[in-house]
Amino acid sequence: MHYIEIRDVDFEYEKGKSVFQNLSLNIDKNETIALMGPNGSGKTTLGKLMAGILKPTKGQVNVFSRDTRDIPLHEIGLRIGYLFQNPEKQFFANTVYDELGFVMKIKGYDEEYIKEKVEEKLEFFQLKGLVNHSPFLLSQGEKQRLAIAAVLMNEPEYLILDEPTTGLDKKRKDMLLNLLFMLKNQGIGMTIISHDRRFVERICSRFIYISRGEIQYDERA
Amino acid sequence: MTREHNLDPRTKLVIVLCLSTLGIAVNNLALLSAIALLSYVAASLFRANLKRTFRKIKSLIYMLLFIALVQSIFTRGEPLLSAGGFAILTVNGVERALQFILRMAIVIFSATIIGTSSSRSIIQGLVQWKLPYDIAFMAALGIRFLPMLREEIRDSLVAIQLRGIDIKNIPIKERISLYSYLFNPLLVGTLLKAERLSIAMEMRGFRAYDKRTSYLVLKFTKLDYLIMFFSIAITAVFLIISYM
Amino acid sequence: MDVIEISNLYFRYSKREEYLLKGLSLRVRKGELLAITGESGCGKSTLLSIICGIIPHIRKGEIEGEVKLFGREVRDMAIRDISKEVGIVFQDPDSQIFLPTVEDEIAFGPENLMVPREEIGLRIERALKAVNMEEYRLENPNNLSGGQKQLIAIASVLAMETDILLLDEVMSQIDEDGKDKIKRTILNLHREGKTMVIVDHDIDNLSLADRVLELKSGMLREFKGW
Repeated sequence: MHYIEIRDVDFEYEKGKSVFQNLSLNIDKNETIALMGPNGSGKTTLGKLMAGILKPTKGQVNVFSRDTRDIPLHEIGLRIGYLFQNPEKQFFANTVYDELGFVMKIKGYDEEYIKEKVEEKLEFFQLKGLVNHSPFLLSQGEKQRLAIAAVLMNEPEYLILDEPTTGLDKKRKDMLLNLLFMLKNQGIGMTIISHDRRFVERICSRFIYISRGEIQYDERA
Repeated sequence: MTREHNLDPRTKLVIVLCLSTLGIAVNNLALLSAIALLSYVAASLFRANLKRTFRKIKSLIYMLLFIALVQSIFTRGEPLLSAGGFAILTVNGVERALQFILRMAIVIFSATIIGTSSSRSIIQGLVQWKLPYDIAFMAALGIRFLPMLREEIRDSLVAIQLRGIDIKNIPIKERISLYSYLFNPLLVGTLLKAERLSIAMEMRGFRAYDKRTSYLVLKFTKLDYLIMFFSIAITAVFLIISYM
Repeated sequence: MDVIEISNLYFRYSKREEYLLKGLSLRVRKGELLAITGESGCGKSTLLSIICGIIPHIRKGEIEGEVKLFGREVRDMAIRDISKEVGIVFQDPDSQIFLPTVEDEIAFGPENLMVPREEIGLRIERALKAVNMEEYRLENPNNLSGGQKQLIAIASVLAMETDILLLDEVMSQIDEDGKDKIKRTILNLHREGKTMVIVDHDIDNLSLADRVLELKSGMLREFKGW
């Protein structure tokens, strides 16, 4: 059994506009995957199918042996963290602290416990100085770190990152890479959707190139 | 440059105004049904994308039906359906509900007619009718960004669930804070976009002068005049019948 | 001739303690293609905003020093006059494009400046030709790819027919293919004599330029990081 299985999947956004037909792919947790391809190739769509955000028109997408149609999104979210290309789409709170802690707060966790967990992340992601800042007013690099930190609050075992290098300068890309290596060493699997070849080459072990809804090549480093 | 094969947006505005006026002024159920049917036919003739509109406002329709039901329950009159001496449905109530539903149908169908013109031509139509151009642009911008809101609400819901929140099982106490969390990204996103867009527009000369020229020029054709005349005539007829 | 002249520019945003730009000076010659790079947050975009008058006319901040376009102080000019001399394109195409067709979008600027219809028609043609998007004239910009949208954003600003063009991280959100098209457009415009200042944090995008400067610690200096 593979961690994520895509079996004979068809997907179309609207009738007649097919993105994929009969797509099959197996993904294991221990591989770091690069999903590449030009704009409009379907790589973001594929990422969303993998995370259960989109459901296939035909065929099946299984994550940890369960059909994504049978698992509620919030359950998937606890094990697979998804990072949108635009980090602002997933910021909900008015302060960095709240952004990290609000989910636990809503679930009724103890405040002391929340504080402990949040401070851990603040430390690890170098966000301590920004505790009271609004997530929306941070720099691109800071938003990136906060988005990843927030998703990791649930301690997922897998990450799907959509174009994480957008808007990052070389220094910040290096920082992101270091971060991802650290996470990788903690056993977290990941799929990175990116058109930045040089970035993914440094961390990924398997390269899948999609164009016009088809896998053009699938190579391991 | 004129856009051919399509009626002048001002003609469509006239049609919509006529239909809306009838929708509001007429009370007779038979006449209202006829007007609603007319609106539907007009919308189809304009090849308005009715299916897509229905999909978009599905949730709104449920709310409208609910309102109609409430109206009918709270209107007194000759009882149609009672339980234990208490009239649940009355003749007047049902009449009111049907009026409401038909009026909403007329408004919705006629609104889709406007959607068949591009926002630029609607702006131009309003401007050629002497509406100040900055107001017309603001209105059109609102129209352009509103449909995106629905998409963004959906994205926000997905994102918050992916953070581990089971939106169906939140205690009432937390529901309110959940909504405020949900709307934050929408609000901020919209405000930021609006600010950036207004700067871009200003740097391209928006509101530099009191007037502006237009590449797009609308000209009425004989068909436009004909249709406007008939719309107003039919509206007058319906109004007269309705008040007799 | 110095088209842009900046002397001893100090700037900080209103609520901050530290100055972002500290005594910055810059001279841009006519027809020059200048690239400015630097880390995120160093002030490159802020600098462009100051050059085209967004600061202080639209956004606020504490600004001291000389900023001149063709010899005139920017702070003494109205945005409407500045917009005839400097055009600026931003990073996010969705915050610049808002009209239903490409043609409408490109006509928008000249219409605001009360350019007569015939001339607008000519400008639309020239702008589309400059970005190689003639076949998309009646297309809805929302149906275009990110790179294509940016080209339309550039075309819309080109239609203002300004002498100076500022490009603020215009390739940040674009894929390789789109970047190539944008770079080609920039080179063509350079050949035609347009004065341009490009801001980009990605070194790969800077090689087109005649001169590359780095913004660091609030000042500009020659870029040596190749």
